[in-house]
Amino acid sequence: MHEMSLALEICRITEEQVGREALSLVREVGLMVGVDSGVEPDNLEFCLDALLAHPPFTGVRISMSVESGDDLRVTYLEVDDGGPPH
Amino acid sequence: MAVRRIEVRERVMEKNDELAAEVRRRLAEHGVASLNLVSSPGSGKTLLLERTLQELGPELAMAVVTGDVQTENDADRLARWTDRLVHAVVTGGACHLDARQVGTALDDLDLAELDLLFVENVGNLVCPASWDLGETAKVVVFSVTEGEDKPLKYPKMFRVSRYAVLNKTDLLPYLPFDVDKAVAYAREVNPDLQFFFTSALTGEGMEGWYDFLRTHARAPAQS
Repeated sequence: MHEMSLALEICRITEEQVGREALSLVREVGLMVGVDSGVEPDNLEFCLDALLAHPPFTGVRISMSVESGDDLRVTYLEVDDGGPPH
Repeated sequence: MAVRRIEVRERVMEKNDELAAEVRRRLAEHGVASLNLVSSPGSGKTLLLERTLQELGPELAMAVVTGDVQTENDADRLARWTDRLVHAVVTGGACHLDARQVGTALDDLDLAELDLLFVENVGNLVCPASWDLGETAKVVVFSVTEGEDKPLKYPKMFRVSRYAVLNKTDLLPYLPFDVDKAVAYAREVNPDLQFFFTSALTGEGMEGWYDFLRTHARAPAQS
């Protein structure tokens, strides 16, 4: 069940990037899962769904791409900052 | 509504790997070698360490960090054989140790008077393979009461380990376990895997393991 540890770490990285106050503005988290990373994508998604169902993450979507290699990365965050379109 | 995209590209294991590098640096600074023992539950890791502490203790200064989901039973067993620290990490459900927990354990150790640090990881052949704890090497322990095909079923663990201990060899006369087949499967996954064959119960094969530990503890630790 190390996917739950990884899911928690993904939440920590998200918070580190945008700050605690802005977490409710996050709309999507992009992930890249390496096929040799030892991570089961469905299991990770299940764990993330459980964590992201609660504030301040409620409504955050996960976009996962599976690629070659042994890395697991947070690739991007989409944030609704309420300002004019960029 | 304005949605902007923040490029991140951060490795999820990056924080753990930073902490593991710090553990490795601290151990190397004091010339302490460290072995991360990984296995399925019941392979005999604790008895292997009990016997090692008992018989090699007069020669080498050894300490142990143990990880278990619940109970400090393993740490209690090991503490009977050494005056040095046996640090129990009760993970409370987590299936592996991480580098932060090992780093915290180091705070309680006098590294200057230590030769060798063992980490007895949580019994699990999947998750601990993905976590660098700052060890010099991983040692995968499996036993003749398990299937010969363990290396094929859990290839990542055998791939990331540099050494393998096949334990409980005293039971070979009573079991249909094929040692050659098990070794061949393991080398199929990791051709460089170095094997030890032991019975931690009877002591058979332990001298080869001790020779390895003597050499390993005296080799310069890598930072």
